[in-house]
This record gives sequence, structure tokens and C-alpha cells, in this order.
Amino acid sequence: MGNLLEIRNLSVSFDTPEGEIQAVRNVSFALREGEILAIVGESGCGKSVLCKSILKLLPDIARIKQGQILLENTDITQYRDADMRRLRGRVFSMVLQDPMTALNPAMTIGAQIEEAVGVHQKTTRNARRDRMRELLTLVGLRETDAGRFPHHLSGGQRQRAVLAAALAGNPKILFADEPTTALDVTIQAQILDLLRDIQRKLHTAMILVSHDLGVVARAADRVAVMYAGKIVEIGAAEDIFCDPRHPYTWGLLQSLPAFASPDSPLYAIPGMPPSLIDPPPGDAFACRNPYALEIDYREEPPMFAVSPDHFAATWLLDPRAPSVTPPFCHD
Amino acid sequence: MRLLWSLCRKCLLFSASLLILSLAVFYAARLAPGDPLASYYGDRVERMSADERARAEERLGLHEPIHTQYLRWLGGALKGEFGISFKYKTDVLDVISGRLVNTLLLGGGSLLLIFLLALPLGVFCVRFEDRWPDRLLCRLGAAVSCVPEFWLSLALILLFSVTLRLFPSSGAGQGTLDRLWHLVLPLSAVTAGHLWYAVFLVRGRLLEEVRMEYVLLAKSKGLSKACILFRHCLRNILPSYLSLMAVFAPHILGGTYVVEMVFSYPGLGALSYESARYRDYNLLMLLCILTGGAVMLFGMLAQVLGELLDPRLKREGDSHG
Repeated sequence: MGNLLEIRNLSVSFDTPEGEIQAVRNVSFALREGEILAIVGESGCGKSVLCKSILKLLPDIARIKQGQILLENTDITQYRDADMRRLRGRVFSMVLQDPMTALNPAMTIGAQIEEAVGVHQKTTRNARRDRMRELLTLVGLRETDAGRFPHHLSGGQRQRAVLAAALAGNPKILFADEPTTALDVTIQAQILDLLRDIQRKLHTAMILVSHDLGVVARAADRVAVMYAGKIVEIGAAEDIFCDPRHPYTWGLLQSLPAFASPDSPLYAIPGMPPSLIDPPPGDAFACRNPYALEIDYREEPPMFAVSPDHFAATWLLDPRAPSVTPPFCHD
Repeated sequence: MRLLWSLCRKCLLFSASLLILSLAVFYAARLAPGDPLASYYGDRVERMSADERARAEERLGLHEPIHTQYLRWLGGALKGEFGISFKYKTDVLDVISGRLVNTLLLGGGSLLLIFLLALPLGVFCVRFEDRWPDRLLCRLGAAVSCVPEFWLSLALILLFSVTLRLFPSSGAGQGTLDRLWHLVLPLSAVTAGHLWYAVFLVRGRLLEEVRMEYVLLAKSKGLSKACILFRHCLRNILPSYLSLMAVFAPHILGGTYVVEMVFSYPGLGALSYESARYRDYNLLMLLCILTGGAVMLFGMLAQVLGELLDPRLKREGDSHG
């Protein structure tokens, strides 16, 4: 399987009056064909910015400071809006967090999907209509829903409609930015299963952004854990859930209600994420990390390979580091 | 059926509002100090004895209690008789009819101009948001909209009639071409005075709209910027633009009143001013009813248009077809 998308040393910053916010810092990863890669992390760790910077949907104050975005081995880092437009919809597309605001309230969902169909292929109205109905069925809506307005639909139905619009151009990569966060828990599972389903049927690769490890466990093939604008651990879903190596991943897993024992309070990672205007030297997680070594405060850990497919950025993996036992073991 | 019902409801509402308006104006005018006889009899009033005054008042129907006067006026109005003007001593309808066209030309013309200009200018600003064309236009607009209309009118007269001798400074002219010629300066004054508010409102609403989430989705679908701006954003602000224009209509009407005075343009503005000043009750009533009716009509028009364009504004009962 080749790499569909490769990100190399990407850094994205926002220039604000308060200073430069380093939202994404030196991130590298690859997305393979047909896989679901989940990006997890706390709010504000740069997951959304990472996605939107690849699609170039960020406001003007954001700029790519360094790094490369390779799409099927073509460097698209310097692409301008006109070039990006040819890619958006056809090569990659996006599902947003809040389906309440992601659809134009004054247009029927049918019209909005049809419009997406018409962007990249100039066909007859009837052909577009047929494709629109096909998409509605694909995402589990009824064909009669085409004439309805967003405010007639429930949150889950709207997210399905957004998904249909995003899939209209048969994209190879779908970015799903917190696609279930704004939905009821019962609907979340349905939408996740739908995403999984579509990935299997259409062989669409997905980047699933979420702060919810439960969501990720249900859908992802591979997981990247982000903290303070960096990827701290990346690997296959089994590796991340069964053999995590970074203390931050431990903390995240420990905080899951599913792993909590019934008679102790729910675990929470102490402290707050650092400010991204002036990130601390060394490992940004060090001050919240009970396993922090002295070097964590001075020098940034490189990515250590745990296995050919599993990497983590923590000094604990250095051969000189003392061995520690993860706070929990489960099998 | 539903359409008919909603039409009936709107008509009822309209009539009720007009009734309340007429009542308020009728009472306010008559309770305010001032001598209506002076406008009818001129200087002679000062020489009248109390007896003569009483007879004069009786002849004009001013001796009765206000509510009787109002009922009589209402009865006449329903039959289309609005009484005579005290000052011009003819039917008020005749007094107005000659001047109505002039004001409609001036007010309607500038409303149309503003309507046609504000949208493209606003879109232009948004397209070049925070770049020099946008900034230039905003500064210019802020400066011009701060200038009072009468001053602007005087400046225009000074520049174009006195110095350059291009356009006439007063009157309405005879014949189509001459009339248009006379209209240029007052029209420019009214339009320039109100255009920028509309441009800024369009710009503000549109900027709000292009920051909506659905624009992101539309972008990620691969739509071009212009396409998103016109097909999505512009369409979504049209209802508020139309209501804005409806709100503007009375303002512009007010603006024409001021500008008409400066240009000695024979329209309703000058007439309203006179009728209020000289207690020409019947004329004042008719002008108020006309103006108020126009304002309400514009409001309803905006509402209906808004409903057609934005499905969310419709009452829930109507929306499920």
C-alpha cells in the first residue's frame, strides 16, 4: 500500500497581536490508501488546524512555517487557492464538527449535495440528480429528504447530509473533524459505523480527528496522539490501545471511564496544556508527567521506533532511561 | 386557501395600523398649540371678533369635540373625501396630486439607486476585505455619510450650479428631459446621504456570512470563492437586504423632505412642512396617512419577500408543504 498523503515536518503558526501561536509544530505522518487514521488529543492541541492546513482552509493569519505536504508524491505545500480548488471535493473533502452550522440554512440539502456533484463534473441536471439520490441512499437518508431544509432534519440526519455532500466528488481522502462531537451518544455510534461502512465500500481513506478515544477505538486503523501541536505517539490502533508507550497516551487511556475501577474516582491528567504562544523547552508534557526525567525539561525527545509501525516521542524509550511500568496493564 | 388567509390577515393588520396612526396624528395635531384659522384666513384672523371666530370655526367644523371631528373625518376618508386644505382652499387630493409625482420621482429614484448600488459596493468591499479598495471605500463612505444632507445639497449647488453651471439649482422643470435635468442634483444629494449606511450594512452582514461554517464545507466541496459568495452568502443576506431597504424607504422619504427644502423642489416634503407649521389639518392628515401607509406597505413587502427567499422565516405551520 502506497502513501496517499505524506506530511513532512509541518509547522503551522498563527500571527496574532499577542504573538505567534505555534499551533502545529514539526509534525510528520503518512496516510495510506483506504485506511482510517485517527488524530486524538485534548482541545487546542492543533488537531483541527493540522487538518485544515492540509486542505488550506485556514484564515489568512495562519501560515505554513515549514514542512511539506505531499499528495500522491506531489508537493502541494505551495499550492494557491485556484490549484487547491481543483483538489478539494475530488481528492479530499471534509466533514465538520457541527452539522447544525455546516449546511447553508437557506438551501435544501438536495441542492447542496447536487452542487457538490456539479463542481467537478459537468453533466446534465438529471445525471446530477441521480447521483444526488444515490448519495442520499449511501449515507442512509431517504430520497425524499432531498427537498428538505437543514432545519427540518435532526443532528444525525444533518451530519449524514454533510457526509453526502463531502462524498459527492468521490474523494480519496475524507477529513472528519470531530464528526460526532456535536451529536447524541446514540447517534455518534451510528455515524461512526456509517463512516466505517463507507470506508469499506468506497475505499476512502479518512483522517478522523477526535478528542474521544472511545470514538477512535471504534473506527480507526491507526492512531496518532497529539499534544501541544506535536504528534507524541503514532501507531496501529492495537499498539496504541494495548501497548502505549508515551506517558500522555497512558494518561489519556487512564482517563477513559471504561478503564476506571468502579470504586475509585475517574482519573484526570493533572495540570493544563501549555500555551502555544511560548511553548516550554524540552518535552511539552513534562510538567504534567509523573514519569518525567530531568532531560525532558531540557531537550525535546526524538521519535523512538517501538516497532516498524509504532513510534513514540518520549525519553523513556531511550536505552539509557530507567524502565518504568505503565500505570495500568490490560490485555 | 392558506395564502388567502394570510393575505386577509395582512390586510386587516394594515388597516388597523392605519386607523391607529390616523387617530394618533389627529389628536396630536389638534391638541398641539397653533391656530388653524390663520392658515385659512391669513392676517384677517387678527382682526376677527370672538363672534366671527366662533362662526369661522363652525364653518370649518373645528368647534366640535375632537372625537366627533375624528369620526366625521374618518367617515369622509372612507369615502375618499379628505376635506379641503385650509391654506390652498381646494380639495387636499388636488393639492397633493401635482406634487406627489415629484416626490415619488426623487424618493423612488434614490431608493432604486441605493438599492442597485449598495449591494455591488458591499460585495466589492467583502471581495477585497481589508485590502486597499475596501479601506478606501470605507473611509470615503464614513466621511460622506457624516455630512448632513442640507450641507451636501448646498455644496452640490455651489459646485455644479453656481461654479460649473451644469445643473439647475432649484425647481422641478417642465417636460421629461428638463425634469430629469432638475432631478440630478437633489437625487445625488439624497442618494449620497443614505447610500453608505446601506453599503456598510451589506458589508457587515456579508462578512458575518462568509465566516459561517457552511462556507468551509462549501469550500471543501471545491466551490470557488465567487460561487460561494454569490450563490450562498449573497442569497442568505438578501432577505435582510430587502428588509433593510424597506426600513430605508421612510428614511429616504425623510431625506427627500430636507433636500426638497434646499432645492425648492416642489414635492411633498415642502408641503408636509407647511401643513404642520400652519395647522393645515386635513392636508397634514392625508400626508401622514400616505407616508405611514407607504412605510407599512414597504415593511410588509419586505416580510413577504423575506419569507420567499429564506425558508426559516416562514411560520412553522406554513413551511411543511
